[in-house]
Amino acid sequence: MKKDQKVVKRRLRSSYIISIISISLLLFIVGLMVFLVLNARNLSEYVMENISFSVILDEDIREVDIIRIQKNLDAAEYVKSTRYITKERAAIELEEMLGEDFISFLGYNPLSPSIEVNLFAAWANPDSIQVIEKDIQQFSYVQEVYYQKSLVHLVNENVRKISMILTGFSLMLLLISLSLINNTIRLSVYARRFIINTMKLVGATNAFIRRPFLYKSAAHGFYAAVLANALMFGLIYMVQKEFADLLGFNDIQTIGLLFLSIVLLGIVINWISTFFAVSRYLRMKTDDLYY
Amino acid sequence: MSLDLIIDLNKVNILQGDNLILSEVSFSVNKGEFIYIIGKVGSGKTSIIRTINAELPLRSGTALVAGYDLEKIRKRQVPYLRRKLGIVFQDFQLLGDRNIYDNLSFVLRATGWKNKADISNRIEEVLQRVDLGYKGYKMPHQLSGGEQQRVVIARALLNNPDVILADEPTGNLDPETSEDILRLLLEISGSGRAVIMATHNYPLLKKFPARTIKCDQGRIMEVDQTAEIDFTSLMD
Repeated sequence: MKKDQKVVKRRLRSSYIISIISISLLLFIVGLMVFLVLNARNLSEYVMENISFSVILDEDIREVDIIRIQKNLDAAEYVKSTRYITKERAAIELEEMLGEDFISFLGYNPLSPSIEVNLFAAWANPDSIQVIEKDIQQFSYVQEVYYQKSLVHLVNENVRKISMILTGFSLMLLLISLSLINNTIRLSVYARRFIINTMKLVGATNAFIRRPFLYKSAAHGFYAAVLANALMFGLIYMVQKEFADLLGFNDIQTIGLLFLSIVLLGIVINWISTFFAVSRYLRMKTDDLYY
Repeated sequence: MSLDLIIDLNKVNILQGDNLILSEVSFSVNKGEFIYIIGKVGSGKTSIIRTINAELPLRSGTALVAGYDLEKIRKRQVPYLRRKLGIVFQDFQLLGDRNIYDNLSFVLRATGWKNKADISNRIEEVLQRVDLGYKGYKMPHQLSGGEQQRVVIARALLNNPDVILADEPTGNLDPETSEDILRLLLEISGSGRAVIMATHNYPLLKKFPARTIKCDQGRIMEVDQTAEIDFTSLMD
């Protein structure tokens, strides 16, 4: 007697568990895509901020002027960092690169002192760099501004393409996931359509019939989201161990925000889908339920 | 119009989709009355009941049920109309996902009962009334057909409705159990409620005669109680 009741309850629960798991997997995919998109931005920023250009200075420039120029550059809003390279330092670096003692060969050091400038990602594109270049050339003692035009162009183009593809892809996956979640919920409500009809016939108002469905599905959305977050956390943790430089968040806030939005998404999408699914059967006439 | 009048249909056309099933249906029911609706399968018995509980929209004619004018009733008011009608189905239609007690408490909570003790007392009361006082914990599928039908009658009684609509309540039951159910319904009508019962169980009708309305060839007619009903003609 009591045991039979338990069997029924267990069966109901296992059907819930299946729908919770499928919803959680879909939320997991959505979360993963968001994670990748966010990381792609980190990654492109990282690449762009490593693009540097050199401000080649006059050979006979005084130390004070160099410091003044460097300070001016540091104060500019587009500059992330600067590095002053003396004549001697430049010679040593070039020597290391060539593997040849070219100074003793030439008999003098032909290099000029320079300042290496790294820009913030937002300014590291060809158009901005052109404007910045003109800006810097106005300074006195500046011979020329040197950077690899093709590299800047290439990096920018690739980052743009990759993030476009990634965003498009994740939007598509989001759409697919939402429609699959919607379907899952509609099926589970469909299975209860006769119960909904009976409730109507014994005098329950639509809102009263809908309420337990909504609460239950919101709870299921919450469980599914927690499960999805656990999966995501495990995956991020593992990936971060392997490729600490490339992937992974170092800031807790972004992770927290991502996890929170997955929970909210889980609850909201479940609530909305359930609302429309139940309303559909509330509107339906008894005879139409058999189709 | 008497004060006891609880249902009053006047020249109602009953349609199923676009098919006219019964035309110009007119009859009225007083409190405490017991009425059979008889007729062949497909003659419109169920449609009359569905019109009364606003499952089928009223398209023409006038109908007054438990104080509601079905011509003007709004969708939002339909649940409140149904609370004044207790309904009993041929296929029981209990909520299969919960036990008997929860089936009954759902109806009470749906109709605004809040106090747990009141709910529990009322359920106890109606289950006693149908002789199922000790079966509240069972799931619907664990009960026999007769027991399920008694639960459905208990459910219909919960809110002290003015009218009990019974659509083929004995259709799925054996003759003996059918008699029990009918006795129960007669007893209920004796306590001041109108009972309208659609049936094609003619032996039962013969045994417990009452006012009878017959659906035939798109019309309804009152069958004279004293005259012998020609059952063989009804059977074919």
